[in-house]
Amino acid sequence: MTFVRNHLGLILPLFAILFAIEYMLVFDRVLKNYETRLQEQYTVIVVADKKVDVSRIEKANPLVKSVEPVDSESVLRRIRKQISKENIEKIKAIVPAFYTLKLLHYPDKKSLEKLRRDLLDIKGVKRVQIFEKVHDRLYAMLLFMKSNFYIFGAMLGLIGFLLVMKQMVIWQLEHKERMQIMALFGAPVWLRSGVLFRLAFVDALIAVALVATGMLYVMSDTRVKEVLDEMGIDGSLLLRFDDLAYLAAAGFGIALFCATWVVVRFREEL
Amino acid sequence: MRNVIEAKNLKLAYPRHEPVIRNATFRVETNQFVFITGASGSGKSTLLRSMYGGMEISGGDLNVGGIDMRSISSSKLYKLRRHIGIVFQDYKLIKEWTVEKNVMLPLIIAGFPKDVCRAQAVKLLNHVKLSHKSDKFPMELSGGEQQRVAMARALAHNPFLILADEPTGNLDDYSSQVVWELLERANEELETTVVVVTHHIPEMINADYRHLMIENGVIYDIR
Repeated sequence: MTFVRNHLGLILPLFAILFAIEYMLVFDRVLKNYETRLQEQYTVIVVADKKVDVSRIEKANPLVKSVEPVDSESVLRRIRKQISKENIEKIKAIVPAFYTLKLLHYPDKKSLEKLRRDLLDIKGVKRVQIFEKVHDRLYAMLLFMKSNFYIFGAMLGLIGFLLVMKQMVIWQLEHKERMQIMALFGAPVWLRSGVLFRLAFVDALIAVALVATGMLYVMSDTRVKEVLDEMGIDGSLLLRFDDLAYLAAAGFGIALFCATWVVVRFREEL
Repeated sequence: MRNVIEAKNLKLAYPRHEPVIRNATFRVETNQFVFITGASGSGKSTLLRSMYGGMEISGGDLNVGGIDMRSISSSKLYKLRRHIGIVFQDYKLIKEWTVEKNVMLPLIIAGFPKDVCRAQAVKLLNHVKLSHKSDKFPMELSGGEQQRVAMARALAHNPFLILADEPTGNLDDYSSQVVWELLERANEELETTVVVVTHHIPEMINADYRHLMIENGVIYDIR
């Protein structure tokens, strides 16, 4: 029973902190993934009455990633059979120049409006047409959830941190006597603090494993899968190998910091 | 004979307090059995603490095992302690360790292989008649038994010096007798120097042993 209590004292707060970190990582990733998809589905067409320098369009707004002129020949080719050569030449003379734009990231409404204004300011540009799939509501919901999870995660992390602090004080009291006696018989620092570091290492390992197992369980749950599918979110985004490295670094870092804190604060009282 | 402990004008004082020990000059030689007596609060435990580096020296000199305790570094102090056996009135056993592991402690610290540590612990627990309790934890033992375990631990690494602070202060007659016998045997058979702080010297003990008495911070060499 004492063994379980000793371990739970650090495992639980570590689990809370790591869980918060993992959720922040997941939400960040899901949102980025969603933004990329939205960005790919976005099309901006610039219509100009005469050819415009591509670099001018590129420099018009920082949101513009690349500009590609649309070849008017491909349009005319389709109607070439029904119209005479002369008329084709006339049409060629008056057909406007088209440009498609790729954006750096998924824009909000405000920056999109600014983009439109900046493009219309270019001499010769007559129209800016934006074709988009309506994802705004889901995107706004994801943004809202992300900010909420950040607050929730920060609170969870704070509670975890306070519990870790409390555990450090408990460890200090629990291990003080043993460390004092060992010091009395000449034990070097590494030997008398060995138990503490072992405890910290094992607790961190268990906490990381628990969070990873929890996430794997969530990923494999059919109800979760259904919800994610409906939202068009890839389920594999929930846990990545990189996450394990982050979780391990955070878990071991915090646990070893606790053990070091107790060792550093140790004072002989004989 | 070689000096194991040598004090010259030794002064011991707690911060912002009058000195407990003043100008103490004495020597303890190899294989001596020394009693330090004095009234409660006379400074006998403080003197003993200074011998294992548990107390800062305020003035004068103190050498233990040829090492100057005034300028000793913490790493040297820990090395010195690995060759000293210490016994306390309150036993100071590690309560989450078994009796056997407690006895093994000085050997583990000295870096002996586990089987050697275990064999030595078994032998010593036989000496103190506690081999049947080797798997128990200290809290499952009586006070007398705990002190016998502490004695076995103090002898485990064949120290050149044993420092005992009121080792029989809380014990019944039988356990007291076992403790005194062990200290005497260590002194006679292993030629270990023994320094014991006590209120009174037991009658059963050899009357020829050395006796230092502390009174009003001054050490008197009685015998």
